[in-house]
Amino acid sequence: MGIAFDYAPDRPEHIEAILNGLDRYNPETTNIFQDYVTQQCEDRTYDCYANLALLKLYQFNPHLTRDEPTTNILVKALTVFPSPDFSLLLHLLPPHILSPTTNNTAPTPSAVDTPLSEAVQKLSLLNSLLETANYSGFWSTLDSDDLYADLIADVNGFEELMRVRIASCVGQGCREVERGVCEGWLNLRGREFESFVGEICGWGVDGEVVRIPVNKENEAKGTVVREEVKFDQFSRVIRRAYEQPA
Amino acid sequence: MALYQREPYTTADRQKLADNESDQEEDALVEDYKEQVHFDDSMGMDELDRTASFGPSGGPQDMQAQLAAAATPLEYGAALDTKFASYDSYCNLFHYILNSEGPVELEVPTYYWAWDVIDEFIYQFESFCRYRNRVARTDPTSEDAQLLRENPNTWGCYSVLNVLYSLIQRSQINEQLEAMKRNEDPNQVAGEYGTRPLYRMLGYFSIIGLLRVHCLLGDFSLALKTLDDIELNKKAMFARVMAAHFTTYYYVGFSYMMMRRYADAIRMFSHILVYVSRTKNFQKNAQYDSVSKKNDQMYALIAICVAFNPTKLDDTIHTALREKYGDQLVRLQRGGPEALPLFEELFRSACPKFISPTPPDFDVPEINVDPVDHHCRIFMEEVKNTMWSPTVKSYLKLYTTMDLKKLAGFLEVEPEKLRGWLLVNKQRSRQVRWSEGALLDGEIVNGSDLDYAMQGDLIHISEAKVGRRLVDWYLRNLARTY
Repeated sequence: MGIAFDYAPDRPEHIEAILNGLDRYNPETTNIFQDYVTQQCEDRTYDCYANLALLKLYQFNPHLTRDEPTTNILVKALTVFPSPDFSLLLHLLPPHILSPTTNNTAPTPSAVDTPLSEAVQKLSLLNSLLETANYSGFWSTLDSDDLYADLIADVNGFEELMRVRIASCVGQGCREVERGVCEGWLNLRGREFESFVGEICGWGVDGEVVRIPVNKENEAKGTVVREEVKFDQFSRVIRRAYEQPA
Repeated sequence: MALYQREPYTTADRQKLADNESDQEEDALVEDYKEQVHFDDSMGMDELDRTASFGPSGGPQDMQAQLAAAATPLEYGAALDTKFASYDSYCNLFHYILNSEGPVELEVPTYYWAWDVIDEFIYQFESFCRYRNRVARTDPTSEDAQLLRENPNTWGCYSVLNVLYSLIQRSQINEQLEAMKRNEDPNQVAGEYGTRPLYRMLGYFSIIGLLRVHCLLGDFSLALKTLDDIELNKKAMFARVMAAHFTTYYYVGFSYMMMRRYADAIRMFSHILVYVSRTKNFQKNAQYDSVSKKNDQMYALIAICVAFNPTKLDDTIHTALREKYGDQLVRLQRGGPEALPLFEELFRSACPKFISPTPPDFDVPEINVDPVDHHCRIFMEEVKNTMWSPTVKSYLKLYTTMDLKKLAGFLEVEPEKLRGWLLVNKQRSRQVRWSEGALLDGEIVNGSDLDYAMQGDLIHISEAKVGRRLVDWYLRNLARTY
């Protein structure tokens, strides 16, 4: 199942046309891309390649930069961890955005310490927690600051998208998980937990154990890779046989 | 500790067989290269003759001087005036080539001229942006800073991209390449401009130029997307110009690395490094010096990629890598926090010189962070997130089943932390890998020979063993007796 990075199943035609032409550099298309980001947030679709194009427009035209689409794009990228999307987006943001806020006595905190910079750094922290598979840490950090609630507010169904994504990562690596651990990972308890795990993931809850049906990734079957022999490999031997009749 | 010690590159690379290009093809390419070098020499002679005969008539020689200048590097540490002037002359030249009435008739000075022009043009753009950023950061009140502040549009990213895209469009090079892919005659679609070698070559190398510019700006997926119409194989046009060949693979490999497609990155770097080691003896010295530096950089990048994704490398590469980065490689592969500074050092020494496309803010010096720091920081985040994978793998290799709490005891970490490491390593062993089509295509495959699943606290471990490669072994030994 090959998936090209630049492919998005739900991409509208007019976006596709812009992406394939020189209009992707045209500052006037910024609004179109911004609307597209809003649309992705609303209908739960995702198009990293188009979002990168918007950040590139911001990169080339810093005066057009708007904080909200930028953070929304990053939040959307969290929902597809552990893909490299979040990092790829960060690469296009202004270089100072990740610099640790200078705690010097110098009276210039305002320049570096913009709201965008703070937001991006907060989201990077979430991304790190996800990428290091510290899912319960992710949920508690998310709850720890009101700023997070503001950041994810635009992304429709963020928590559910995250749960589904976490579940799919867990499903890759586990056949059985202790219920307590799993509850922490998904940040759901009791009835809610049971219905999510049962209905959405299709997993079974058996007392204190969550059972995950065997899939291609979690069966971990040993294999022996056998040598693949192609006829071409013998070409020299055969040529030799003709060249030097015994 | 003994447990940490692992053989380098023990992983079987299933892709290996497919990658193993036939030696004959390599040899043919080496031959081709020898001819090229020779060809270049004879071209040089011709050119001398030609310019001599042009002597008396002023016009053509003037143009020739301009063309030659466009392909010549500025002297080291050139003054800002020179850089501005150089920008203006590029603009004039490209304007003349692109916007004259109909295609211009030009005798280009050398066979490699088109590549050299594009290469130098981008190099000057890159070094100008880096200089501008550095001045703003370190010396924002100097005369140079004042001059830069007054000329924000010189060497602007839009004009540089405009030149490259215009050359591509004028020459219809993408359409030509598509036609060639379908085995049709490219001249059918080349149009008035594209049929001429000057435009075709400029257009073609502009595509490679775009790859480089996108990469310098940190847009790695777009960099790879740019090469959609170019097939990376030895018959490609860039393979006829050593520097272009080399540059292409460096940037493609680097972009793959940044997209965390380490197997693909290794494939790219290996390909070009094997090629360089085979043609080393025919390279002329001056040319080889520039290649040699990038060569070392690519070995550093291969070391990084192999640390992320243990792979069996080509013998030549393996030996050279051990010579150049033997100790470092062992430390990289061991992972853990001790390896972090080394990853950073190698990354910094081997990454492209990233640039920021827009003029810096001269009034707020501290906001002008070096783009290299920015990209390095993001990369190091990835290294940090996965730094325990080698540790985990080295232990799991020893067992078929293992209790998570017991293993956590060995490693002296909390069980929950170890559970995270196991999940991370599992996720990272799944990687997108190219099999056919455009560079951004690929399939998710398990790149590791080790696989496992957790059943509660019990870890089930399985291994993909590689059967002995008998046919290969016999054929190699048979070949020796000829």
